[in-house]
Amino acid sequence: MTTKEAPPVLRTAAHKRRLKAPGTRNFSKPVRYLMLAALVLFSGFPLYWMLNTALSQDSELYGQAQGWWPHWERLADLGDVIGSVPIFKWLTNSMVIAGGTTLLSLIFAVLAGYALSRFKFHGKGAAGFLLFATQMLPEALLVVPIYALFASLGLLNGMGGLILANVAFTMPVSVWIIKGAIDAIPYEIEEAAAVDGCPRVTILSLVLTPLILPSIAAAAVINFFDGWNEFLLAKTFIAERDLWPASVGLASFIGQYLTSLNSVMAAALLFTLPALVFFLLVQRRIVSGLTAGSVKG
Amino acid sequence: MAKLSLRNISKRFGDTQVIHDFSADVDNGEFLVLLGASGSGKSTLLRIIAGLTDASAGDVIFDNLRVNRQSPRERDVAFVFQSYALYPHLTVRENIAFPLALDKFKAWHHIPGVSAIARRIFGSSKDIAEQVAGVSSMLELDDYANRKPGGLSGGQRQRVALARALIRNPSMFLLDEPLSNLDAKLRAELRGEIVRLHKLTGKTFVYVTHDQVEAMTMATQIVILHNGIVQQHATPQEIYTRPANTYVARFIGSPPMNLMTAAVADGYATLGGLRLPAPEGLVLRTGTVTLGLRPEHLTVSADVGRPGLAGTVRRIEDLGADTLIGVQPDPALDLKLWELNQDDLIWIRQTGQTRLMAGDQCTVSLEARMASYFDSDTGVNLASSDQISDAGMLPLRG
Repeated sequence: MTTKEAPPVLRTAAHKRRLKAPGTRNFSKPVRYLMLAALVLFSGFPLYWMLNTALSQDSELYGQAQGWWPHWERLADLGDVIGSVPIFKWLTNSMVIAGGTTLLSLIFAVLAGYALSRFKFHGKGAAGFLLFATQMLPEALLVVPIYALFASLGLLNGMGGLILANVAFTMPVSVWIIKGAIDAIPYEIEEAAAVDGCPRVTILSLVLTPLILPSIAAAAVINFFDGWNEFLLAKTFIAERDLWPASVGLASFIGQYLTSLNSVMAAALLFTLPALVFFLLVQRRIVSGLTAGSVKG
Repeated sequence: MAKLSLRNISKRFGDTQVIHDFSADVDNGEFLVLLGASGSGKSTLLRIIAGLTDASAGDVIFDNLRVNRQSPRERDVAFVFQSYALYPHLTVRENIAFPLALDKFKAWHHIPGVSAIARRIFGSSKDIAEQVAGVSSMLELDDYANRKPGGLSGGQRQRVALARALIRNPSMFLLDEPLSNLDAKLRAELRGEIVRLHKLTGKTFVYVTHDQVEAMTMATQIVILHNGIVQQHATPQEIYTRPANTYVARFIGSPPMNLMTAAVADGYATLGGLRLPAPEGLVLRTGTVTLGLRPEHLTVSADVGRPGLAGTVRRIEDLGADTLIGVQPDPALDLKLWELNQDDLIWIRQTGQTRLMAGDQCTVSLEARMASYFDSDTGVNLASSDQISDAGMLPLRG
């Protein structure tokens, strides 16, 4: 008996080759590690330089070239400088503002994204476009009318007002991210849930929300950093020093005549860390492929 | 259990009318199959029964109660989707337990974090766990209970979907082409499984399919739909032996019924030189009719002198147990085959193998008492097999 089939070994090799994504190249392990190290160096260097600057002598910063290694002995001096301002109060404020912005923005965005994705209503296209249109107006242009509005509503000098303003600016992007995610979920899953006895709100909270968690996490990162980094509105709306977020507090280190660069960098380092921790917490969630296997396809 | 009545159901999508004035009654415990080609409106009809789509007109009645405005859950139906529609973030066990768990924690529904915890607690409660274990073992899902749908094969996923429907003990099961994504072997296996579940539960099943084998093997009643219009509502046997019109005759059976034009006069139907006694319904008629015969009601032999239709063998398809033989009738007979006959051949099904070869001259004999007669203009059935009193076939004299 003769057979024209290829020997199994060859077929396995061909199979393996097929499994790889087209256009990818295989680097050896050391090369891959080397490339990763270069990337880490590239992205980590600014952080290191902040630390280095924070721990440099004034004379180094303003006179001769800055050294490559931090002067750890300056840690105590720096602690004193940082201790002279309510930095932890400011960081807490920032946390409240960024957290509040994220939470509120996500709640609205999930509801609005669902409506834009699943409902048919008059003016749906216009509503979606208007959400985008808000992104075209610069914050600086809106700050004066919003100030006037907030003054009449008594929302100035408080974190609640600031959160509201931030949500208005960050929500449209989240709506579109979440709308896109819901678009990708097969409608049958919702119908199955409806047959199982879920009212629409429950479908959203119990079935859809877990499925779009990666997109919610992505939107959360954007919202959180928007809230965390926001400066202009906070600087304009909040006069009381104890209510400042860290971004405004940080700017207060820059004096009219004298800017202590190492203090600024030390405070900036403290300002960066919580945001970094937040990102590390949610990045685990930003994974795709959660819906794999629910329906055929 | 529920008796289902549909009264004058119509459905439009914009300018397109998908279902025209559909009425049917389905008794408790029936297995109704809605059969039709794609676009015939069968899935839409099923969704209207489920409450997933609203009818443009007409009433859906469950046990004498009009349920048009009730949600799917209020109607107490289970729906099995063609695409399975499992919850991808839940394990098989959680998927099956979902409807039961949902019943228990209505107050917690809307709080995302809390509802997840509540679902877990209720999902693993003893009562629910026992029911889930029972249904899982019935559908042989025990080994996969902790897997997510992504890690299951198509057949396993559809079993999970069936289990999720079964656990609620609904009054009616609605299945929308549940097997069409599976391969032939799994399809046959799950077909048996669904029939078994139907017998076991004794509930009403409404099943949508385009596959006539599924319809014939599973149904107690079949409704054949074409462009949203009911062609026939009858038992599988009735549909096969007495198709209501030429559409049904051609739709059911593989290969479909052979349709030929015959002339009727003086109580006889004449077909390509053969004279057949016309059934009672046609005795008083004169003119042309369409005569239909299933491939298994024809025989073919190499004996050219026999009474029958002379022709040439053109195609032979050996299916193993059966052989399909395609015969081109002799042009001299002036036999008009119905326009849609496959390749303009008369198809004959013969048990076992044949010695005939393509190109051979042959004679086709007809089992005239099995013939169906249709109006040549409207396609409506005029008479079918058992209405014929005199069985047999006579050669035309002269």
